[in-house]
Amino acid sequence: MFIKLLKYDLKYMIKNMSVFYILSLFFAITTRLLFSLNETVMIKIISQISVGCMFAMIANTLINTIMRSWIRFRDSIYKDEAYLTHTLPVTKNDIYNSKFIQTLIFFIISFVVIIISLFITYYTKERWMMLKDYIGMITTGLDFNTTIFVISFITIIFLEIFNAIQCGFLGIILGYKKNNNKIGFSVVFGFVAYLLSQSMVLLLVFIVGLFDSSIMSLFENNILLDVHSFKILVILSIVLYIFIIGLMSIICKKEFNKGVNIE
Amino acid sequence: MELLEIKNLTKSFDNKNILEDINLKISSGKIIGLLGKNGAGKTTLIKLINDLLTKTEGEILIKGKNIGVESKKVISYLPERTYLNKQMKVSEVIDYFKDFYDNFDADKARKLLKDLGLDVNQKISKMSKGMQEKVGLVLVMSRNADLYILDEPLGGVDPATRDYILDTILSNFNENASVIISTHLISDIERILDEVIFIDKGKIILQSDADKLRKKEKLSIDEIFRRMFKCS
Repeated sequence: MFIKLLKYDLKYMIKNMSVFYILSLFFAITTRLLFSLNETVMIKIISQISVGCMFAMIANTLINTIMRSWIRFRDSIYKDEAYLTHTLPVTKNDIYNSKFIQTLIFFIISFVVIIISLFITYYTKERWMMLKDYIGMITTGLDFNTTIFVISFITIIFLEIFNAIQCGFLGIILGYKKNNNKIGFSVVFGFVAYLLSQSMVLLLVFIVGLFDSSIMSLFENNILLDVHSFKILVILSIVLYIFIIGLMSIICKKEFNKGVNIE
Repeated sequence: MELLEIKNLTKSFDNKNILEDINLKISSGKIIGLLGKNGAGKTTLIKLINDLLTKTEGEILIKGKNIGVESKKVISYLPERTYLNKQMKVSEVIDYFKDFYDNFDADKARKLLKDLGLDVNQKISKMSKGMQEKVGLVLVMSRNADLYILDEPLGGVDPATRDYILDTILSNFNENASVIISTHLISDIERILDEVIFIDKGKIILQSDADKLRKKEKLSIDEIFRRMFKCS
């Protein structure tokens, strides 16, 4: 049943997100083609407009992935569609897990589309070498493997935004427990959940700092981290975010399993 | 074992009891009218049976089991509002029901939709409210369920279609199943009712066999309802 739920959640997202993916890629290709033409004033103007459109679509892709995930969650669990969702012979855990995985999958797809759009627009051998050299400079200084550095960096950003999305889910669940001003409470609870999750990351880093003086130096002075501490912090951030996303997921499911009150 | 059994059910919102100490038993093979004025608690009771509200106190048992995955397999519920994903076509909604309900008969649904002149390739969002309600009813009645719960099934349809819907209800549920119909349009459904439940101010004030009640009061159910709930 979980797979069936996921299938319909993914279908919904495909219907709503594909337009942004297509437009992002379309403007990326258009910009690329315009860049390859002779540089007349008019071509330059059109190129700049196309670049603007491409960035607007990239921003739309990211914002819509987040917003649509929240809207889908709210609509199918608390709005009219909830009459169908909650009368399906599926567990509440399956309903939540389906939304969670759907968000995860589309967040990854959006991320890839954004990277591809930027790549199509700006890739040249020289720029690629320049970027590699630039990242190489940073990673050499930090004594980091370049590939691992890039993957870690992207993973942390990814987990950070995904955590924010899930805080939104918790906000919606708690907000809809209230009889009045559900949207207002959802926003407030979501924001509070996000602040708490960030504070928890900070607290856990502090606790690790109690056993590692180089990490503790983050809280005690403004000296840049040494190579060893930076590596620990990167690994710690990834582990802590995964832990907090897991914890938040358990809290969401626990609250959700207490039942809903559909108007 | 009763098909539906409700014991001491109470539902409160903001410390106000919307339903109070409801006790109810419904057996198989009956069509039951759940009748009451607006705000009497009919929809609240139906939502509680369908896991759309959380109970404050009490117990709801379907074939002896608490509300959950198993009870949802045997209850076919038509809400008072249009609830289908408006981005879907009717044919997609049929596939959706087929995917989730083992007892859903897609061929029967297509036939009923054809009888009602509804196009399976039309998007839900392009349909009128009345058409959407008909689609909802067809989907619900195309399940081979044990308990059908229909909340205001006649509300948004024209009088000409009401008879067709009632006939659809009569001819599409099996002998071992029961149907609970909540409605204000008592005169329209009176002819098909086996049993009536009157609900007022969150309490069940009467549960009786429809024929026995008619004979006893020498009035139609509609007239009994009007007399009982007359606004002073």
